[in-house]
Amino acid sequence: MNTSTRPPAAGSGRMPASSGADGDPPGLTADCIADSAGGLTFDLAAPPDVRTTWSAALVLRLRGADAEEVRLPLGPNGAGGLRAVLPSTVALAEGRWQVYADLGDGHAPRRLLPGLNDLRSLVDRRPLAGIGRLGVRIPYTTKLGNLALRSWLRGPHAEAGDILVDREGMTVEGRLYGALPGPGAHVEARARRVAGQAATGATATVTVPLTADGAHFSFTLPYAGPVGHWCGGGEPWDLWLVPAEGAPPVRIGRLLDDVADKKQVFAYPAVPVPVAGTEIRVGPYYTLDNDLALRVAGPDTVD
Amino acid sequence: MHISFLIHNAYGIGGTIRTTFNLAHALSAHHDVEIVSVLRHRDTPVLGLGPGVRLRHLVDLREDSPTYDGNDPEFARAAKVFPAAEGRFGQYSELTDRRIARHLRHVEADLVVGTRPGLNVHIARQTRRGVVRVGQEHLTLDSHSRALRLALRGVYPRLDALTTVTEADAAAYRRLRLPGVRVEAVPNSVPAPGLAPADATGKWVVAAGRLARVKRYDLLIRAFAEVVAARPDWRLRIYGGGSEKAALRALIDELGLYNHVFLMGPANPLESEWAKGSIAAVSSSLESFGMTIVEAMRCGLPVVATDCPHGPGEIIDDGVDGRLVPVDDPGALAGALLSLINDDAGRRRMGRAALTAAARFDPARIAARYEALFGQLLEEKRANRLRGALHRTRGALLSGAYVTKDAASAALRGVRTV
Repeated sequence: MNTSTRPPAAGSGRMPASSGADGDPPGLTADCIADSAGGLTFDLAAPPDVRTTWSAALVLRLRGADAEEVRLPLGPNGAGGLRAVLPSTVALAEGRWQVYADLGDGHAPRRLLPGLNDLRSLVDRRPLAGIGRLGVRIPYTTKLGNLALRSWLRGPHAEAGDILVDREGMTVEGRLYGALPGPGAHVEARARRVAGQAATGATATVTVPLTADGAHFSFTLPYAGPVGHWCGGGEPWDLWLVPAEGAPPVRIGRLLDDVADKKQVFAYPAVPVPVAGTEIRVGPYYTLDNDLALRVAGPDTVD
Repeated sequence: MHISFLIHNAYGIGGTIRTTFNLAHALSAHHDVEIVSVLRHRDTPVLGLGPGVRLRHLVDLREDSPTYDGNDPEFARAAKVFPAAEGRFGQYSELTDRRIARHLRHVEADLVVGTRPGLNVHIARQTRRGVVRVGQEHLTLDSHSRALRLALRGVYPRLDALTTVTEADAAAYRRLRLPGVRVEAVPNSVPAPGLAPADATGKWVVAAGRLARVKRYDLLIRAFAEVVAARPDWRLRIYGGGSEKAALRALIDELGLYNHVFLMGPANPLESEWAKGSIAAVSSSLESFGMTIVEAMRCGLPVVATDCPHGPGEIIDDGVDGRLVPVDDPGALAGALLSLINDDAGRRRMGRAALTAAARFDPARIAARYEALFGQLLEEKRANRLRGALHRTRGALLSGAYVTKDAASAALRGVRTV
């Protein structure tokens, strides 16, 4: 049967994970329900022997930041468990947040294990374009099997949709949130690093015009521009949308669904381009932060 | 009843483990249930086991454990009882032969239940007299090699009953002629999902399974190209990992479907993912049961599936709670998908029907079927033992298939070498 569709994840299913032979307390699991506004509700299946106090809290800690912590009140959910709510109005800094339960019993907060995540309302999420600042939180399971949240906080935000790839370049459709495209709107592809130019601090930039219809936008980026700057190795180009002449640039990304890590799922063909007696490959991809980028890679480059 | 399951390794992940845990948990509401795991390589089982079921092991493979068995010289010598033609033969040894034999010779249970062919062979040959012997087949007879089929035919007559997961496979075992062995089809169970059923509004088709050739996801992707041509607003998610991933990725790119077909990677639990879809798709050329079909139906999805051997046709009522299409026919698969995509009311109606129909696979209902079967087997065993004693005192010839079988196994037990 479908063994490989089910990676190990402690605490999944409706039966509690068994406690370890060495007397570890059984893991606390949290079910997570997302609403379409970006809010999350956490329901904890607290074991019967756990007593909580008024100070019980769900604790979110930003990975890599010492003091960044958000505490949410944890109270009875009416079904014998505990509930905490993270409303869309609570701003979470962009990053990866680890999820703990502080039961107020004097013990250190316990890391939560993932239970059932009901993220269906995130799948085709389409907020109003006028939204000032967009908050996105997607629960996921870490490599070690713990519950965590990916968070983005962006305003304005340029959401990438379908991408059409051909031999000459790529055409990206998208939707702009928190800004309206105006005169001089364009897209900039910026080389993250180009050998030889690093010393001067300048990086190569390729600019293409933006077509807009209300909040909907599209642009075509011919590969010839970035390819012309190629000087060996693999070169990533980050994509920025400038809503109007002089406006601050907005990173183009893909955030509005239930997929915490886009890189493997939203994958696109890389087309071969002949250059100076060799062949390089060019194609769009999503970064580990789900931002859209273009890779220009030489024949010896390993992804 | 006291029921003892014998399983290869309860500490891993897989369909047999999951379904055995579900069954054991449901039976433990009214019975004394234990699971005996031949091997143990982890401290705790990965899949959740209900608190009412006892779990123990026979051979300890945890290297840091004080009772580690891996250094036992017998562990290095090939098994003699576990059949060589069985897929797991390499993990069995003289040590497993001896430990399983000792377990079965002293087992306290009323019934022992084996969960794979090699363990059924142990149970048939080594279980002490008076205990009901049940073998479970979680795959199918025709998926076994000729050598294994021959081995099973020689030994299975000493079982009291054999269960399969489909009627089709039960019919195949009946054709094998196992005198005195009751052959019954009892499907796998799937618990009710822990979240609300799908509402059929999302424009997503969902599939899930190993990315293996037998699942024919290449066929599904080709069929979906036809779907996209007619309905570009619908998309397909395929959950799972496996050896075909690169080939499927290349096919998606070749057909230009990278905005419509997504390889999602493995997901656990799957029910959260079914709930995001409106239609489930199964394109396999072979399904020994069709666990994902039942899982999707329990989440309220109508399933479009190939009518492959053995499971789909026994789970789906074509046109009522899903659709069955010919194997290896992308046009038919696309047509059935589009018929549901283009009929919102019909799709919702079939989804509701699927939800209702799939309740027959609830662990409580499946456990009740096993309970009835086990109860009858136990009664027959007791009656036969009485009759057998009577016959022996009169020195009469034994007759009747069951009694003949018991006598044969008793005779074999007399010359047992293990």
